[in-house]
Amino acid sequence: MAGADVTSREGARRIVLALEAAGVSLVPTVPDTWIGWLMEPMRASRRLRVIDVAREEEAIAIACGATLMGERTAVVIQNAGLLNSGAVIASLVQLYRVPVFLLVSYRGDVRDPVYYHAPKGRATEPTLTAWSLRFARAEPTRIAAQVAQAYAFMDETREPFVLLFSAEDLA
Amino acid sequence: MSVPRQAWLSALLAALDARDVLVAGLGGNARYLPHMAPRVPHWALCDSMGAAIPLALGMALARPTRGVVALEGDGSLLMNLGCLATVGAARAANLTVLIFENGAYESSGGQALPAVTVDFVAVALAAGFRRAERLSSADELGAALAQGRSTGGPTLFALPTRFDPAETIPPYSERPDEIRANFARALRGT
Repeated sequence: MAGADVTSREGARRIVLALEAAGVSLVPTVPDTWIGWLMEPMRASRRLRVIDVAREEEAIAIACGATLMGERTAVVIQNAGLLNSGAVIASLVQLYRVPVFLLVSYRGDVRDPVYYHAPKGRATEPTLTAWSLRFARAEPTRIAAQVAQAYAFMDETREPFVLLFSAEDLA
Repeated sequence: MSVPRQAWLSALLAALDARDVLVAGLGGNARYLPHMAPRVPHWALCDSMGAAIPLALGMALARPTRGVVALEGDGSLLMNLGCLATVGAARAANLTVLIFENGAYESSGGQALPAVTVDFVAVALAAGFRRAERLSSADELGAALAQGRSTGGPTLFALPTRFDPAETIPPYSERPDEIRANFARALRGT
């Protein structure tokens, strides 16, 4: 992450407001550095319950369970964990058509030129395409609309949606 | 001393509360359950090895007034052992986990699990479960579930289960869309 001032966390607060506006109640998550910044306002929310999870596949399965009971959820994980999660996405989310929203920190893309993140950054979008997952990169100025559209898409199609965010989207 | 799977399942179904929800991991439990006509909403996985407990946890967190019972095999739990820590941390008082211990990957031909005896009861207690115990007879299950319900969970019971390579287990009988529709319908009715 180069140059982004994340100390204000305005972007993170906008994401939290967008999730609240979408009616999300449960947020299973596995942390990374950026997610830690996002979780500060997330944990302060009175509407969102954060569930700390040991591994990303679990976070997705927890979200599926809550969704089946009628709750709206948002899974917050790093792209490393997303790459771990191919089996549960294919065999639970897609097989049973349980729509899950995945908010994924996008380590190793062009905005995050860290050598040890770069390989998973290169693999992320091709993998999402190979898994037939609909995804978008976060746009800070229209994050509320992106989140609302993602849930509308999931309601219509029963498919999951992945929103990739970078550190500068939290600034 | 191990117990036939169907004896555990019969004891479980007889002990359920009308508002309970069942989640069965892939394999024998998921293949038998639809044939046993559970009178509560049930979700029997035909894949997603290791996902039954977190799936059940999500249901339990979403509906704290319902009891949720997860049925998982010992091989599936080994694939996702960390989920016990997640359950312990979430303090889901309404979640009960039943581990069917038969020492084999029954669905894939009966291959043996890694050659070590894992004490799932000790792991669960170390991971923050409120109660964990190994039962030895199907007759004990009803009282154990009732006690777990009254004291609050999360609770884990390890169930030593007989593995018979010659046992004829029925095939999966419900398709994913049916499972989802039947679950939603049953949920509305209880």
